[in-house]
Amino acid sequence: MNETPGEPVGEPLGGPPGEAVERLAERRATGAVRCGSGSVYLEAGVVVHAENELATGLDALLTRCGRIPPDAWRASLRAFGAEHRVGRMLVEQGHLTQGELELCHLGALHDAAFFTLGARPTATSGASFEPGVRHWLGPVNGVSARLLRREAVRRRDLLERIWPCPQVDTAPVVPAAPAARRRSRTSLRQRELLHHADGRRTPADLARLLGRSAFSTTVEVRRLAAAGLVATPLPGASPLLDAPLPATAVAGLQRRTPGAALRRPSPPLSAHDPDIALLYRVRTALEARL
Amino acid sequence: MPGIDECLSQAMTIAGARGVSLIDWSSGLTLGASGDSPTGDHEATAAEATDLVRAAAESPAFADPDDAGTPVRDIIVTSDRSYHLLCFVGTVFDSRLALHLWLDRAVGNLATARFRLQAIAEELVLG
Repeated sequence: MNETPGEPVGEPLGGPPGEAVERLAERRATGAVRCGSGSVYLEAGVVVHAENELATGLDALLTRCGRIPPDAWRASLRAFGAEHRVGRMLVEQGHLTQGELELCHLGALHDAAFFTLGARPTATSGASFEPGVRHWLGPVNGVSARLLRREAVRRRDLLERIWPCPQVDTAPVVPAAPAARRRSRTSLRQRELLHHADGRRTPADLARLLGRSAFSTTVEVRRLAAAGLVATPLPGASPLLDAPLPATAVAGLQRRTPGAALRRPSPPLSAHDPDIALLYRVRTALEARL
Repeated sequence: MPGIDECLSQAMTIAGARGVSLIDWSSGLTLGASGDSPTGDHEATAAEATDLVRAAAESPAFADPDDAGTPVRDIIVTSDRSYHLLCFVGTVFDSRLALHLWLDRAVGNLATARFRLQAIAEELVLG
């Protein structure tokens, strides 16, 4: 029932995915744009939904906090998914109010669109379009493709202004030593993130675990990194969107591949105290083994 | 049961309302807007409102330190010609939302507007 993104099976799309979605919108297309680990759904040229493995979905947002019991969610999905009217029925059956559905949906849509279209400026497409595919949620809110792309770009710029190291968005979150944390002021939400950061969980993992928006979690992680409370890995040393973290990584340290340095030039030194970031990672790894 | 658009329309019926928008202050996104914007651009205003809301909500002096959901109830900014009401919208699921109502001071009544905007914010979530 859930449309899982996989190998491109549809019509290949050239150029940046955001522009591809706009071109499809212009011709009032209906279907799903698959790109990386995400999908953007169009209905008669209007963006009606987006999903990405890196973004907390409606299900996690609504069930983790206890708003909808997981059983009720699954039952709605089973009963109404095939007819593409899960959203409407959640409201009609009293699980959610119309306002809650719209608020949660718009947040989830833009979060997923950001990770699909805007997370990396240089992302070339690799995208494909499956005409006619519709999402199980059914119509809730519609967003124009132009607005969707503009918002994704705006979010990328926002993150860059906080701390221009996109590698922290997808790398495991490695907190600084407690001494450093005591010296800095953190919000309750940031303390919760640091509490659950075990050196293996990425911002997306933490967002899903806590039932929080993945984008707002990414914002918090960048702010924590800017404050030195979360380590900033070297650019290129972190697992990127298209290369998931191997399960063997120990406490934030990457398992070394023999000969990797011979195949790839070493990453340029970051201007943001790479030595300190590296030392934090080494210390955290050592502490984890003691 | 009202959705975002109905709530924004209702907010525009508050005496003196010149414009209203619903903002996500974790990202600066405008989820919906109606009427005029003080800057002529709802998105630009949302970005500035986001900075103001965040400053208050994350300040140890002004925010309730134990409430991660709605650390502040509302923010009121007054000038010679305008009132600005920023009312936090609380949801069970994770969100950081606020309604921003821009009022003409000569026509609007701050106390009534605040009361009605809070009622609209609650209705948006509770139905």
